[in-house]
Amino acid sequence: MSNTITEQTVNIRTISDGARPFEVVAILVKRSMMRVRRMPSAFIPSLVMPVFQLIAFSGAFGFAVTSLGIKNALDWYVPLNAMQGASFGALGVSFGLINDMQTGFFDRILMAPTPRWVTVVSSLAAAVVRCVVPITFVVIVGYIGGMNTPGGFMAIVCVAIASIAIAVVAAGFALGLTFRMRNLGAATLTQFAIFFTIFLSTSQVPLSAMSGWLRGVARINPMTNILRFARQGFLGDVTWEQSWGGIIAMAVLLILTFIYAMTGIKKFDQ
Amino acid sequence: MSVSIADPKMMASSSSARSLLRHTFVLTRRSVVGRLRQPAVLAPAFIFPLFFAALGSASFNKLASDPYFTANIATSFMNYAVAGAVLQGVLFGSTSAAGDLATDIEQGFFERLLASPISRTAIVLGRLAASMVVAVVQVVIFMAIFVVAGARIESGPIGFIGLIGGGALLALAMSAMMAGLAIKSGSPEVVQGAFPLVFVLMFLSSAFFPRHYMKGWYRTVADWNPLSHIVEGMQGFMNHELSASQFAKSWLIPFVLAVIGIAFALRALNNRLAAS
Amino acid sequence: MQELVEYNLVTQAPIIATGLSRSFGTGDNAIKAVDGVDLEVHQGEIFGFLGPNGAGKSTTVRMLTTLLKPSAGTAFVAGYDVVKDADKVRRSIGVALQDAAIDPLMTGRELLTLQAVLYGLSKVAGKNRGEELLERVGLTAAADRRVGTYSGGMRRRLDLALSLVHEPTVLFLDEPTTGLDPMSRLTLWEEVKRLNAGGTTVLLTTQYLEEADQLADRIAIIDHGHIVRQGAPRELKALVGSPTLSISVASSETDEARSILARFGDLRPTSEGTLGVGLARGAEDVAAVIRALDEAGLKVRHLELDEPSLDDVFAEATGYRLEGADAANKPTESEAAPEEKKSRRGRK
Repeated sequence: MSNTITEQTVNIRTISDGARPFEVVAILVKRSMMRVRRMPSAFIPSLVMPVFQLIAFSGAFGFAVTSLGIKNALDWYVPLNAMQGASFGALGVSFGLINDMQTGFFDRILMAPTPRWVTVVSSLAAAVVRCVVPITFVVIVGYIGGMNTPGGFMAIVCVAIASIAIAVVAAGFALGLTFRMRNLGAATLTQFAIFFTIFLSTSQVPLSAMSGWLRGVARINPMTNILRFARQGFLGDVTWEQSWGGIIAMAVLLILTFIYAMTGIKKFDQ
Repeated sequence: MSVSIADPKMMASSSSARSLLRHTFVLTRRSVVGRLRQPAVLAPAFIFPLFFAALGSASFNKLASDPYFTANIATSFMNYAVAGAVLQGVLFGSTSAAGDLATDIEQGFFERLLASPISRTAIVLGRLAASMVVAVVQVVIFMAIFVVAGARIESGPIGFIGLIGGGALLALAMSAMMAGLAIKSGSPEVVQGAFPLVFVLMFLSSAFFPRHYMKGWYRTVADWNPLSHIVEGMQGFMNHELSASQFAKSWLIPFVLAVIGIAFALRALNNRLAAS
Repeated sequence: MQELVEYNLVTQAPIIATGLSRSFGTGDNAIKAVDGVDLEVHQGEIFGFLGPNGAGKSTTVRMLTTLLKPSAGTAFVAGYDVVKDADKVRRSIGVALQDAAIDPLMTGRELLTLQAVLYGLSKVAGKNRGEELLERVGLTAAADRRVGTYSGGMRRRLDLALSLVHEPTVLFLDEPTTGLDPMSRLTLWEEVKRLNAGGTTVLLTTQYLEEADQLADRIAIIDHGHIVRQGAPRELKALVGSPTLSISVASSETDEARSILARFGDLRPTSEGTLGVGLARGAEDVAAVIRALDEAGLKVRHLELDEPSLDDVFAEATGYRLEGADAANKPTESEAAPEEKKSRRGRK
């Protein structure tokens, strides 16, 4: 068969001018929320786990923390578990993506005339919205348990910023991995990565109370800076001195994971 | 055992007790080999307990300067953490073994076993015995690692055996209960769903941190939690002179739980057979 | 170059593929799923893409719809290069993929709204278009039910409606009726015909000969990643020419019967347990064949004479029957007249 040009005219009329990116992001986030509402069983663990951990950590290790001069163990653990809950809640977008790949729904999105970054940004935005509930939940339980916030309203703002940032980082990493692996292993691996990154920081006790290898690892772990940023308002005033390290760590992680997710979807496109 | 459900054909050929023993042995070996062949499934039961013990030792060692701790609990936080790691490893291992059983049931492999001329009791006991064997291996490996890292068994060689026996009996109890759950439900999801519960029970015990330092309702729950007493018995072997109470806590409690668990598992099996 | 593209836009067929190939894996393990496919689909026609499971149909469609990049070759859809101008191709085509890729937790109406936003329709335009399409595919009453509660036929109809939201000029339907009951299948065929009458060019893949026969103006047969036939069904049937006589004899007499049949024309693959021959002189040879078999002492158990069908076209092109054939039960080379098969491959 030859590639001869035939005497036909192709109808090139099309009513699609390509999508408006922000509307697409908005509707995809809405869809993600709708899936949470209609299948809550998949979301509940990410609500229960951080609250359970908050109770377990402060109940079991409370003495270790309060003996170091912290008034209430919750002051130490609320920021940690808000961040942990946010990151695990954000993993839902990875499960959702895998589900969409399996049903073929993801092909529908790939075939639409929308830029690839819109797909990634929608997932990250969905992660932000998803993590709001576990963060709120943890803070409320902490409030009921009598946590202190000497930093005032800024204490809550810092926790919220840190938790959302960690949620986006977790989601970005999970997306990048999901695009590459295309199976549930991606979400599991991300879970492990978050788990070890968080525990190998000042998650349980401050640097000064640590000994040996853990101190060395926690010192260079960016999570330590982010935790300091998140906790400052619960232990004292919010100051620039305790903030900048965390802000830089969050910014660098956000940029790196966004790049990882974008290169992931480009790879998937091949 | 009153729940004799050995296959009639096998009973005709040999005495039922001997065939039960032989079948149990064969199935135990098969099950142990099966477990050891999937290192990826076993790995979490090794990695997490050791990680938590290392983390705890590095985080909470300041506690060793508390006079009550050094006088009554342990010489160092690592010496304290050994028993918790053993408990955790054995519980994780047993739960994942029950997950295998539930998968077998779901995929129909279990039915095929039941249809074969193998004693039904042996099918369950084989799994449980396998869990004990794996637990013994696990405890020995854990102890070797901890001793290299600087832990000391204050109660000597008999205490070492006490730890191994405690681990094996706990594996038996946990496997039996989880196997009962697996047989009753036939669903790996249910068994996996029970996993966080095991985790909760461990946190609400002396496994990760001494009960002495807990307060309020949390302390009350920990006081009533059998896991607290089992793990404290094991901690006794690690940190104190040998005493009968250590055996009572770490052997007798799991033994009683094991009897209850086995009865539950066999009952679940009978019900499943009656239903099919 | 720019001029050429402009020229293509107005004069080229809506789908043109040249040497389109795709392999999976690398090195020695690479599998060529599609190997040098040439296709030309004309403006306003329904083009049937026929082949068994795993022949390369879906892979070809995924390349034409920009979901998969070709390893080699080029393809133009609606006048645009599927690799360089993927976004423009996406705006011009509608696609209903195999297994109706829809989210069971969403309702039909929600999915239509989502699709409208994905294609950049305004809110009002999207809403109106959605209602119109729901009406058209008969899903207005079910529009607010979750798709998970839909029957297979309803899902496919919704999938079709979704693919039409932005009024595409070229429509791809990947096995639109696989797994549907006969009634649902007919409904879908009617809708496809109606769309086509309205000027939409349709490429549909199918493993059902009847579907291709009923719907397609022209077809291409793909086997093992190669196009083995392309043309109007009528022309292709005429090329096969002679009717097929199939007989069955006792299995011990098969070899002898085969050599007798060979005297009357080309042996043709038929269903299992029967022998087939293309009668060179048509129906008048039947008596002669029976006589010859009878003289040889062979007892004919069953006899059937078929005018050439698409199935014959397929069998002649590939060496096996499509109906009921999966990769698993394809006949082996020896049964399927290997030397003929080879020469046909070469002719492609």
